[in-house]
Amino acid sequence: MNGRRLVPLVFILLFFCCQTLSQTGTKKARPLPYEYGRVVINNFSNKADLAPVVFEHWLHRSKYTCRVCHVDIGFAMKTGATGINAADNARGYYCGTCHNGKMVSDGKPIFEACSRKATFDDRKRCERCHSYGKKVAGEYDFFRFSAPLPKERFGNGLDWEKSEELGLIHPVAFLEGVSVQRKSLSAQKDFALDPKLEGMPEIIFSHKKHTVWNGCELCHPEIFMGVKKGSRKYTMVDISEGRSCGACHTTVAFPLTDCQRCHSKPV
Amino acid sequence: MRMCSSQKRTKRNERSIFLIVLAFAVLLLGSYASAQIYLPKAPPEPSAYGRVILQSHVATSPGPVVFDHWLHRSKFTCRLCHVDVGFAMKANATGISASTNREGFHCGACHDGKRVIEGRAVFASCSGDAASNKQCARCHSTDKKSGRKYEYNAFTAKLPAADYGVNWEAAEKSGVIRPVDFLDGLSVKKARIQNREDFSIKAAVSWVKPITFSHEKHSIWNGCELCHPEIFPTAKKGELSFSMYSNVHGRRCGACHGKVASPLNNCQKCHPRGPEWAEN
Amino acid sequence: MLKRENIAVVLVLVGLAVPCNMRAASSPPSSTTEAVEGWQKEFEDVCSKTQDAMILSIDELTALVQKCDTLMPQIEKLDETRKKVYMGRLRMCRGLYAYVLESKKNEKK
Repeated sequence: MNGRRLVPLVFILLFFCCQTLSQTGTKKARPLPYEYGRVVINNFSNKADLAPVVFEHWLHRSKYTCRVCHVDIGFAMKTGATGINAADNARGYYCGTCHNGKMVSDGKPIFEACSRKATFDDRKRCERCHSYGKKVAGEYDFFRFSAPLPKERFGNGLDWEKSEELGLIHPVAFLEGVSVQRKSLSAQKDFALDPKLEGMPEIIFSHKKHTVWNGCELCHPEIFMGVKKGSRKYTMVDISEGRSCGACHTTVAFPLTDCQRCHSKPV
Repeated sequence: MRMCSSQKRTKRNERSIFLIVLAFAVLLLGSYASAQIYLPKAPPEPSAYGRVILQSHVATSPGPVVFDHWLHRSKFTCRLCHVDVGFAMKANATGISASTNREGFHCGACHDGKRVIEGRAVFASCSGDAASNKQCARCHSTDKKSGRKYEYNAFTAKLPAADYGVNWEAAEKSGVIRPVDFLDGLSVKKARIQNREDFSIKAAVSWVKPITFSHEKHSIWNGCELCHPEIFPTAKKGELSFSMYSNVHGRRCGACHGKVASPLNNCQKCHPRGPEWAEN
Repeated sequence: MLKRENIAVVLVLVGLAVPCNMRAASSPPSSTTEAVEGWQKEFEDVCSKTQDAMILSIDELTALVQKCDTLMPQIEKLDETRKKVYMGRLRMCRGLYAYVLESKKNEKK
C-alpha cells in the first residue's frame, strides 16, 4: 500500500463526507432590512488590533451608483476579495477615495479612514467602520433614513428604483479625479428570458434599468460571459449560489425570494 | 529481501493507515446506503408537536421562549411568518432579541401592542422591564399556570382531528380556521404565479410507492417564496435528488414535514398505500 | 549568512523607504490638480469609451483591446496600491471590449 493508492481513496471519502454534511435545503432567517447588504471585512483588521469592518450597503447605495464603487474605485464584489488595507486607504484609494477628510457629502466633509497619523484618541473614528461586535451608533439611522422612501418587500424593504425616480435619492455617478469621463449609454432594448419551467412567467430583463447604476463593465464579461444571447443557460441553482444574476441579487440588490420582480411578463 | 527495522515500521504504519481508512470508508458507504431508507422516529404528543424552544439570550431573558406552532398556524399562513416577517426554519437561527422585537421586527411585527388581529390589539412583546412585567410569561413559560392564555386541548377541541393531531387542511376547507396571509405595512401584494399541475416523485428505493406532490396544496399556505429557491433551488423536476435522510434531518421536505407540518412517520400521507413491506 | 548587523541595516532601509513612498503617493493623481502621468491619460482615454462599446466597429474594438494590452506592463510597474487599483480597472475595461468584440465577430459569422 503506498501513498498513490491512498489519494483516490481519500477523495472518495471526502466526497461522501460532503454529501452527508451538505447544509442546503433549509430556510435561513431573512436578514432584517438594515442588515441586508451588510459586508464584514476582516483581512487585516484583527492583525491591527481593530474589530472587523462592517460595511452597510444601504447608506452608500443611496448616495453613489454601483459603478462608482465597483468599477471606478475598483472594489471587488466578493467579501474580502479586494484586499483593502490601511495603507491603500491612507493613500486615497478604495475607501480612502472619499473617506479622506476633504470630499464633501451632504454638506459635510467625509471623515478620514485609516489615516497614518491616527493616535489612540482617534479610536472613536476608527470604530465608525471597525465596529463588528461593538455597539456603535452610526451617524445615519436606518429608520429615519428609510422613512420617506417608497417601500417594497424583502431586502432593505425599500424600492430603490422608485426612490430615484421620485428624486428622493440622487446617486452620484461620477467622481472627479477618479471616474473616467464617459458619454451616456446608447439605448438598449428590454428582452425576455425564457425560464426553464413551463408555466413560470417569462423574465423581462431590462438592460436600461441595470446600466443606469452599473454601466457595462460591472457585469460583462466577469458576471455574464456569454456573447450570444441565450448561449448560456443560467439555472436558479446557479443564481442562488451567487453566479450570474446572483452576484447581486442574493446579497445586495433585491433577493431571489421576490419571484415576481423578475418573472414579470404577464402569462 | 531483507528489510531493516525502519522499513518494517514504515510498512506496518502504511498497512495500519490503510486499514483505518478502509474501515472508515466502509462505515461511510454503509451509512450512505442506509440513508436511502432512513426511517423517521415517532413524534411527541400532539400538544407538544411543533414546539420550538428559543434560547439564544437565555442568560439575560426571563427564561427561554416556548413557541407552539399550533396557535399561530391556526391564525396565519406559514408564508406570512417565514417569508414576510422572515423567521428562519431552524430554532435559534433567526437572531430574535428583545431589541429587534421592540423595533417592530420578528415577533414585534405583530406583538407591538397596536396591531389588531381578530378584533383585539396583540400584546406587546419585550415591552418593558422583565422584573415587573407579567406579560413576559406569556411567551417565556411553558404552561397556563405561568401565564399562557391558550391551552392546546381546549383550543383544538373544535378542530377536525387527523390520525395524529389536527387535520389542518380540513379545518381550513370547512372554514373553521381562516389563516391570514397579509399584514398591513409588511406584506406586499404581488401578481399570483400560476401553480404547476400535480406531479409524481419517485422514491429512492423501488419498493416504496412514488409520491404525488401537489403544488396547489402547498402554495395555499406557503406561496412560492417559502420553498423556492432556498429549500428547493431547482426549477427542473428531477434535477435535485435527496432521500429520507435529508427529510429526517430537517432539509428539503423535512424543513417543514417532521417537526411542524405533519410527522414523517405517517408514510401514507405522502406515499399512498405506504411501503409494501410494512403492509403485513 | 544572515548576520544580525545585515538584518538591522535592511530593516533601517525599509523603515526609511516606507514613509518616503507615503509622502510621494499621499493622494490619488488627479487630472485637475497634479501633473497627470502619461499612462493615466492613456488609461482615461482608452477606458472612456466603454459606454459606446456596442456601437464601435470591430476594428475600433480591436485597437482598444491592443491599447489596454500596451498599458498593462506600465501599470505593473506602479507602486503596490496603484497597481492593485488600476490593474483591476483595466481588467474590467479590457474585458468589456474583448467581450463586445467577440460578440460582434460571432454575429458576423
